Amino acid sequence: MSRILRIELRRSAAAGTALVLLVAGALLLYASTDGWASGWMALAMVQRQYLVLLWPLALAAGAWQARREQRSNVAELFASTARPLAQRVAPVLAAMTIAVVAGYAAMTAAAVPWIIGTVSYLPTAVFAVLAVGALSLVAAAWFGMAVGRLVPSALTAPGLAVAGIGLLLVLTPTAVGGHEGVTAVFSPTQGLGLFGDFRTISGRVSAAQGVWLAALAVTGLVLLAAETRRARTAALLPAVLGAALAILVIPRGGDFVESPIDPVARELVCTEAGPRVCVSRMHAGLLAEVEPLARQGLTMLAKLPNAPTTAAEDTNSFLDEHAQPQRPDTVTFNLRVDSDGHLADDRTFLPEMLNAAGVNAYACGNELSRPVSRAAAYWLMEREPTAGAHDPAEETAQTRALWQSLRKLPEREAAARVASVRTAALACESLDGLLSRSAA
Amino acid sequence: MRWLALYLRSRRIPVALAATVGSVVLMWSLWTATSNKRDVDVQMVILTVLLAVATLTATLAGPDDALEHTGSLPWPRRRAAHLLGALAVVLLLLLATLATGARFGPAGLVLRDAAGLLGLTALGAVTVGAARSWFLPLAWTLGSLVLSLPDTAWAQILTWQVQDPRNTAAGLTAGLLAAAGLFTYAVAGPARRAPAEAAL
Repeated sequence: MSRILRIELRRSAAAGTALVLLVAGALLLYASTDGWASGWMALAMVQRQYLVLLWPLALAAGAWQARREQRSNVAELFASTARPLAQRVAPVLAAMTIAVVAGYAAMTAAAVPWIIGTVSYLPTAVFAVLAVGALSLVAAAWFGMAVGRLVPSALTAPGLAVAGIGLLLVLTPTAVGGHEGVTAVFSPTQGLGLFGDFRTISGRVSAAQGVWLAALAVTGLVLLAAETRRARTAALLPAVLGAALAILVIPRGGDFVESPIDPVARELVCTEAGPRVCVSRMHAGLLAEVEPLARQGLTMLAKLPNAPTTAAEDTNSFLDEHAQPQRPDTVTFNLRVDSDGHLADDRTFLPEMLNAAGVNAYACGNELSRPVSRAAAYWLMEREPTAGAHDPAEETAQTRALWQSLRKLPEREAAARVASVRTAALACESLDGLLSRSAA
Repeated sequence: MRWLALYLRSRRIPVALAATVGSVVLMWSLWTATSNKRDVDVQMVILTVLLAVATLTATLAGPDDALEHTGSLPWPRRRAAHLLGALAVVLLLLLATLATGARFGPAGLVLRDAAGLLGLTALGAVTVGAARSWFLPLAWTLGSLVLSLPDTAWAQILTWQVQDPRNTAAGLTAGLLAAAGLFTYAVAGPARRAPAEAAL
């Protein structure tokens, strides 16, 4: 058996399939690394998204492989051998399975060097997401082989691929009346939720997807080995049962969380010594890069009375309903990961961190005066305010005027005013006029 | 006439034509059944062109190309006529839908994609044989549908199938593929292999 398997691995479409999956997958991944450079879960999810191409290709590869005997004009000859069909297709089935799993794993491996140095948090859910992806390719290859055997035409493989991508492109929640759970079960590229840090996929969703895909694979297997019409009809059974079971397993209605957040990924990890700098567990690999910048910001803030002593990443997500309240002893900063996995734009890190003298105004809901917030930050940095790419010229002029008036004041007075900006921002009060009022 | 009838039969053209018409009719009915809009979604148009070209791929090789090669006939112009005929079939079928309730257009996109994909298929038929030549056009087109790249000239060339029909870089890429496919296939013909393997 293992000798035949080795021959099949060499002489079937297996090697080509694995190579195609690896090359197409790596090209897609490296076409834009923004989506997955921040973590293992992001990588696993982006890979699942790109199944929109790989899944149809696996279908086509299976259908192509199943027509080998017709192509070589030996179908009748092989049908006359005194061996059951199941025994004849088992080795090539195993070879194709190894090929698609290896191709998908190689795609992951191709991405590993890019992020291995900067990413450390590896939750177990990643393996479930990857396993569902690999299982979807196995199901596609087996089902493709079954269709290719039932309809041995030159058109089966390309037709099946077109049908497959059509299905994946059409099967969106809007197409089935907003039932996200249904699309999440039947499409391996759905149920991934919105992009953002700390996201994950719940175990129950992965389990439901696994159940359906395994059922689809079994249907392919039965179709492949079926020699009678009755057996072919029976092949529908696993698919129907699997679909029903998967729909039972997946959370429905209000229980289905579209974009769940991994609470462990956003727990804070802090430095041991010195002024504390904390980042979320997901970004723990970047702590060393953030530490000097955050310390610098803390030193600048130390000019103020009652200055904060801890700098922590802002772990609020745009998916949260309620933002966590700010603590007076902690200054938060946004940690953005660049497409190379390292800390993005360290030039804007400090201005953003010290904005409104170290208060994140997003939690307030209402917009705080930007010129006042920025002038306070630039006074602490002792730098002239510069216009960002999207800042209106008028706003920059106001910021600059406020900053200059602060510079003319005695150090003590200016610090008191900036401190009052911080206090007001922490309480979500208006900042207007706090920097330009006459000495209080 | 007799030669033409024999040629059409040896290339299994009646079956292929039936498949082409069938796949276009299938896509047309799918759109008519599921959408109220008259202009078909561009992704669906591209997939239909791809499918139509794929159905004609099998006609690019005969049952015994090695034997055929020995016939003292002016093959290059016949092979070129074959490819141009295939292009005409795809264009006719899809442009005919412009008069119906589900319009597979714009015409410029259909022409560019059909010509480029046929050229790519013909190049494949010359190098790896007609049986395998469906794969590269398929994978490339599906990849282009999926890939979203920053809008540079290189990206336009890489995803030429999905660009706007007025896009020069994409048009040139398709034209180049079409011309290369037409020329190579006309001059060299399909890759020759043993008759037992040539059966499609």
